[in-house]
Amino acid sequence: MAKTKKSAAVEPGKKTFGQYVLGFFLLLYTLFCALPVLLVFIVAFTKEESVTKNGFSFFPEEWSMDGMNSVLKYGTQLATSYGITILVVVVGTVLGLLVMSMYAYAISRPNFRLRKFLSIYLLIPMLFNGGQLAGYIVFTGYYHLKNSLLLLILPLAVTTMNVIILRTYIVNSIPAELMEAAKIDGANEYLTFFGICLPLMKPSLAAVGFMMATAYWNDWQNAVLYIDKNSRKPLQLLLYNIQKNIDFLLNNNNVPQAVRDAMGGSIPKYSATMATVIVVIGPIMVAYPFFQKYFVKGLTVGSVKG
Amino acid sequence: MAKRAKDVVFSDGKVTIRAKKEGVLENIKKHPAYVVFALPAFLILFFIMYVPMGGIIMAFQDFKPMKGFFKSDFVGFDNFKFLFASKSVFFRMTKNTLIYYVIFTGLGTFLNVVLAIALDQFVFKKTARVMQTMMIIPIFISYAAVQFIVYAFIASDNGLINRVLGTNIAFYSDANYWPAILTVVKIWNSVGYGSVLYMSVLAGVDTALYEAAQIDGANKWQQIWHITLPSLVPMITVMLLLSVGSVMRSDTGLFFQVTRDSGALYERTQVIDSYVLNAILKSPEYGFTAAASLFQSTVGLLMMLLANGAVRKFSPENSLF
Repeated sequence: MAKTKKSAAVEPGKKTFGQYVLGFFLLLYTLFCALPVLLVFIVAFTKEESVTKNGFSFFPEEWSMDGMNSVLKYGTQLATSYGITILVVVVGTVLGLLVMSMYAYAISRPNFRLRKFLSIYLLIPMLFNGGQLAGYIVFTGYYHLKNSLLLLILPLAVTTMNVIILRTYIVNSIPAELMEAAKIDGANEYLTFFGICLPLMKPSLAAVGFMMATAYWNDWQNAVLYIDKNSRKPLQLLLYNIQKNIDFLLNNNNVPQAVRDAMGGSIPKYSATMATVIVVIGPIMVAYPFFQKYFVKGLTVGSVKG
Repeated sequence: MAKRAKDVVFSDGKVTIRAKKEGVLENIKKHPAYVVFALPAFLILFFIMYVPMGGIIMAFQDFKPMKGFFKSDFVGFDNFKFLFASKSVFFRMTKNTLIYYVIFTGLGTFLNVVLAIALDQFVFKKTARVMQTMMIIPIFISYAAVQFIVYAFIASDNGLINRVLGTNIAFYSDANYWPAILTVVKIWNSVGYGSVLYMSVLAGVDTALYEAAQIDGANKWQQIWHITLPSLVPMITVMLLLSVGSVMRSDTGLFFQVTRDSGALYERTQVIDSYVLNAILKSPEYGFTAAASLFQSTVGLLMMLLANGAVRKFSPENSLF
């Protein structure tokens, strides 16, 4: 965690027997968390026959690159989906951070008469909402946005909690004097915000931004509801469809060969499926350790109201 | 909110009335930039969150998509009568929602605290940090991916568990296993992440307290019981109270994806959120679903107001509003 963390334990370095027992239990829990992820990697590189014969196993009989290769082979849809997901993550996170920090700035200005109204306006959606069905009908029936990427971006772009986190940061961590000074030097509101406030918000932007990016990356629900065109499918929907196809083929033994072929050969293979899972979860697992310190900080900030 | 200084200063005397009553319009004219700043998020919230609120009208209609909100016939409270009468569906999903809320919140909070204290007490700090990193990773794996991992463990023919035990349990068609399975998956998914917040509280505890306790001859357990735990109580209370507001909401992915939406499991796995999602995907009974949604939102609202009121009494600085 943070570098300033003081050790609450005895004198630092006192390695008693109890510490090793504690370490043993912590190790057990770490394995509980990590082994399922490891299994994904192992299965992805297991020879398909090993899985069908011996079941999923941490110690496969035979290794193979077939899974990864077949993922690369049906690569066009995967590449498209990757592109869609990245587009949604980048546009959504940048847009969300921008509009939310502007909103947070506005409602943190003491001389703005609408601040109270805007704070309540922000809070209400957290207390009450129309529900998924109403959203679905309004978005598809009235806005006509079925298959539009806007429905993957906008619903996650502005969330009450994130605006509160950003506002708290502005109020508590950015000296008001700095912004006063800028104004006295003749900077207008826009320059004050974009030139002084926004750059100083970096730690909270990193924290909120990473949490947003993860939410976008992992969002399957909006995709399942609103997207059915192949050219617009994000990665999570691809995973969902793979599972649906497996179900369909398992439950319908008399599916004609032509249909099976259209679905990418026979029943999607275990190793190939797990290889796809790796491709989907990989980037976040690589990026996360770099953002860990920010996001721990952000989580802490979020718990305190300004 | 604190009184504005201006109001107090100018609260008497006619001369100053104009200065005090700077209208909202004047204020906006003076600070157009603030309005520009607030507008984009305002509009997104309006179109994404506020407009659909109008959709609750469906709960009182015999809604037909062809007719839309404005032309569908009103049926009063018929949908709710239907909802509350359908014990099998409504009662089941409400019961499941509540049961899982209690299990996840109770057990989850307990484990969050235990893990936070354990990591905090562990003197090998570098190892602790690496362990924590691994414990947090599951929260970043979407349920669409998680369900494949769960499948690898519990599949009936080639799942790891059945192979190791030499059994042939059909987990995906026996609902009775699922409260346990979902609880394990939920813990796996969220406890590492959930403990971070408590660890940040522990990092702020004054070490002098521990030193003093040691001088007084307190052992490790006594220190944890008398210093560490009490320092966590405010945060635990606040988190619990705030979670009450989402008592009717569930982690949809857990119930929809991890169960593979298997109908055989609904008895123990269907929650309101997953019911509504399913209804939408399989052409809904609009009135019924909307009534269920409105019920969910209303109970959520009441609980949230109640919880926030309680937090405000207990620790005002942590209340949401």
